[in-house]
Amino acid sequence: MEKESHLYATCSAACPVHTDTREYVRRISTGDYEGALDVLLEVNPFSSVCGRICHHPCESQCRRQVIDAPVGLRLLKRFVVENTREYRIQRRKKVEPVLGRKIAVIGSGPSGLTAARDLAMLGYKVTVFEKDSMLGGMLAHAIPRYRLPVDALQEDIDDILALGIESRLNCEVGKDVSFKDLRKEYDAILIAVGLAESHSLPIPGIGSDGILLGIPFLWDVANGSPPTLGDRVMVIGGGNVAIDVARAAKRLGPSQVIMACLESREEMPAWKWEIEEAEEEGISIMNSWGPKAILEQNGKTTGIEFKRCTRVFDENKRFNPQYDESVTTSLDVDSVILTIGQKANLDFLKETTVGVDRGRLICDRESCTATERGVFVSGEVMTGPGSAIQAVATGHDVARAIHHYLETGETLKLPQESIETIGELPAQTAARARKFDHIDVRLTDASQRIKDFSPIEPGYTEAQALSEARRCLACGTGAVLAPSAQCAGCLTCVRICPYGVATVERTASMPAQECLTCGLCAAECPAAGVALARFATNRVKETLESILTDCSAEKIQRPLVVSYCCLYEATSRKYLREQTRSEIEETGILRVMVPCVGRLGSIDLVSPFELGADRVSIIACHETGCLYTGAEELLERRIQQARRFLDEIGVGGESLQFFRTHTSAEESWPQFWRESKEDLRATSAA
Amino acid sequence: MIVADPKPFQEVRGFLENYRKILILGCGTCVTVCLSGGEAQAELLASGLRIAFKKDGKEVTVLEDTVQRQCEQEFVTPVLERVKKEGIDAVVTLACGVGVNFLSDRIGAVPVFPGVNTTFYGGNVEAGLWSEMCAGCGECITYLTGGICPIARCSKHLLNGPCGGSEKGMCEVDPKNTECVWQLIYDRMKLLGRLDEMRNLLPMKDWRPAMDGGVRRTVREHIYRLSYKSQT
Ligand SMILES: Cc1cc2nc3c(=O)[nH]c(=O)nc-3n(C[C@H](O)[C@H](O)[C@H](O)COP(=O)(O)OP(=O)(O)OC[C@H]3O[C@@H](n4cnc5c(N)ncnc54)[C@H](O)[C@@H]3O)c2cc1C
Repeated sequence: MEKESHLYATCSAACPVHTDTREYVRRISTGDYEGALDVLLEVNPFSSVCGRICHHPCESQCRRQVIDAPVGLRLLKRFVVENTREYRIQRRKKVEPVLGRKIAVIGSGPSGLTAARDLAMLGYKVTVFEKDSMLGGMLAHAIPRYRLPVDALQEDIDDILALGIESRLNCEVGKDVSFKDLRKEYDAILIAVGLAESHSLPIPGIGSDGILLGIPFLWDVANGSPPTLGDRVMVIGGGNVAIDVARAAKRLGPSQVIMACLESREEMPAWKWEIEEAEEEGISIMNSWGPKAILEQNGKTTGIEFKRCTRVFDENKRFNPQYDESVTTSLDVDSVILTIGQKANLDFLKETTVGVDRGRLICDRESCTATERGVFVSGEVMTGPGSAIQAVATGHDVARAIHHYLETGETLKLPQESIETIGELPAQTAARARKFDHIDVRLTDASQRIKDFSPIEPGYTEAQALSEARRCLACGTGAVLAPSAQCAGCLTCVRICPYGVATVERTASMPAQECLTCGLCAAECPAAGVALARFATNRVKETLESILTDCSAEKIQRPLVVSYCCLYEATSRKYLREQTRSEIEETGILRVMVPCVGRLGSIDLVSPFELGADRVSIIACHETGCLYTGAEELLERRIQQARRFLDEIGVGGESLQFFRTHTSAEESWPQFWRESKEDLRATSAA
Repeated sequence: MIVADPKPFQEVRGFLENYRKILILGCGTCVTVCLSGGEAQAELLASGLRIAFKKDGKEVTVLEDTVQRQCEQEFVTPVLERVKKEGIDAVVTLACGVGVNFLSDRIGAVPVFPGVNTTFYGGNVEAGLWSEMCAGCGECITYLTGGICPIARCSKHLLNGPCGGSEKGMCEVDPKNTECVWQLIYDRMKLLGRLDEMRNLLPMKDWRPAMDGGVRRTVREHIYRLSYKSQT
């Protein structure tokens, strides 16, 4: 057990900040959205942003995809954030800068603000310098609003600022305040200025009217003062930024937006889904063309000429485009937006001793340091173009490095992470698992969404989120043999495991890599020696006991029904919420939510009677709903067996009832509970 | 292995009329494997007893425990100590009959009751099904019968079968579930190319190594009563 818990699930391993995905998803499925938020915020202060725009490496590595499709983790994250707003405000607290040391952060992108947060939490006095009028870096200024609305970003930023971080807006280092002055005033400086400038192209005609650069273009669009575009717009570039530029341009009303890039369709660096969405919006893409010249008349752009790009990368996979100059094409266009890469503006370091080499900041990634003592670096200015969550990760790293430096005066070499994951889900295990449709949301219709910058993606409803959350395989939290178990190697687990996972070599073993956490072996183990690492049901009796000792026996509205309900069937938080003592007393119904009632062992079916229950009612999920192969059959047989036993001991097998949800939990469960209560009265009257 | 079935609940309940503190003792080997007396079964029986006693308005404490094998001194000793220390006044063991005896021999004035009926030495034929395969007769004759035991597996324990009750390969005692062992032996001898041996009558069996010869014991001289062990 100890060993397994060190293993990362592949989703968490893939996340640059190693969000404990399984845990927040588990909390969602139990209705504990606040708890889920705690898990998210622990490592990711930009949870709201990431719920909207993260490129979700977690999903790309989700082991569920070999069964059907990955779990919609990004939208689950968004769901959590959107449903815990008040709680998020409540949990804020200011941290007094007790350490007395001062840190200046230059740039308020995700990495700068993450570092600021971590350092403020440690007790440092942090001031963030931002040249723009708004905090957030590219999140605030480049990512178009239809993907990331201002409010979604603001939530994260408000949270961070609440720690007591000072921010100086409209304050450009190098212009409004000098780097040297900061050096004098602050004990450490973090350069987190990102890559705010776009590269241009040295081709004929580039100086003509109608040529724009991608990042400034987006910046202006985001700030509500978009430049005037001609009617036919050409966007040069094939990355995600280019897609954003093209889609933003489309929303400004030109009749044509065309993208052209060196790469073939397959080589395009933009995410597949981004490309598809762009095409839906009527943006066409010309692949394998390189710009040759801008065509102009009287200084005004009239068109663009391309040459065939025959190869983008060389044998060493380095960017090294080759062209066939004899194959050309030209198009009439009025505006061209260049989105072919970004660079940092490091002019503010000109008069300083901080090392810059050909426009690049010299830095050591392992220690997040620049060439001068006390000057640190994080985010894209260090890593090159990446993702928001990666920038957050470097923010955490640099905060550690700065803290170490301020405490010891020494440079911290960040330890190389060695991440051991539980590995892939073997195909033969996946083949035996049940398929469950991934819940997708429908984007606004393309014809509608190009009209303005309104958000195009709806979030999950509660029912959708709960339904998607249960698709999580909870990888690596499955069955484990307790060290004290008297495993006789009886093979019961091997015989009932629906996925062929359990084996016996002297004693039972359920390899974490394969176990799909159905819990059936735990329910059937004759030695009561198997438990689930998480989501365990082997303490049901203790739980019931503690709830019932809290209630006063006389007050309970008899008959007392202990109702085991399928946690995964709930479509709202209504039944997931813990009941109050008086609720149990007044209704005479004690709900126990179980992540699949198939996990209940015989003892769980019988022991409630020992604790004073008059009836046990098991409510399974919908006919087609059970996640786990075989769970229904095993449970039904176990119920038959328990009924015979209850007959024998004089309780009566009919006191153990079994229901299957129809329609929804909200509709059918109360009806089952009524039935349970009435039935008993009928029997006791007779 | 030894196979056992849980005794009817009321029978066990009946043993316990006059006790106040009862220990249900599971066994971690054979009865765990045949799903009749392991830890899970001990928990279940204990729970059932608590419910039944409560229903009858009796104040009885029912405790539960499980040891790896109730047929070993070292495994049983801690339970004996527990019984003494906690003032347990009756034990229900879910081990085979060996466990009942083994405990009774050592436990002093506390009664030990069987919670299961020990049925046979058998094998797990398929998940959930055990079948008798050995009678523990003390002198194995299966070398004569193709490795298949007529004593354990013939309803009449015939040494020279089959009898007239063998029909289409099944035994008349339970034609649905029980194969005629002599049919099995015949088929197997054929497979082994030894069919002609079936012309020979099996000799009379010496039953002295079986129950008839008195209580059986086995000594392994190489570790029995080591002198250096008795000194310490
Ligand atoms: C168009 C676009 C779309 C993107 N889409 C996604 C996406 O969908 N998903 C995703 O995960 N990532 C996306 N990214 C990447 C993500 O935005 C970046 O990885 C991230 O913002 C980098 O953070 P950072 O902290 O390094 O710097 P930045 O976010 O670039 O922030 C740097 C800040 O420093 C300020 N600054 C610079 N110089 C000075 C100075 N001298 N004085 C004061 N302030 C200064 C800038 O004004 C800026 O606010 C996108 C990026 C772009 C450009």
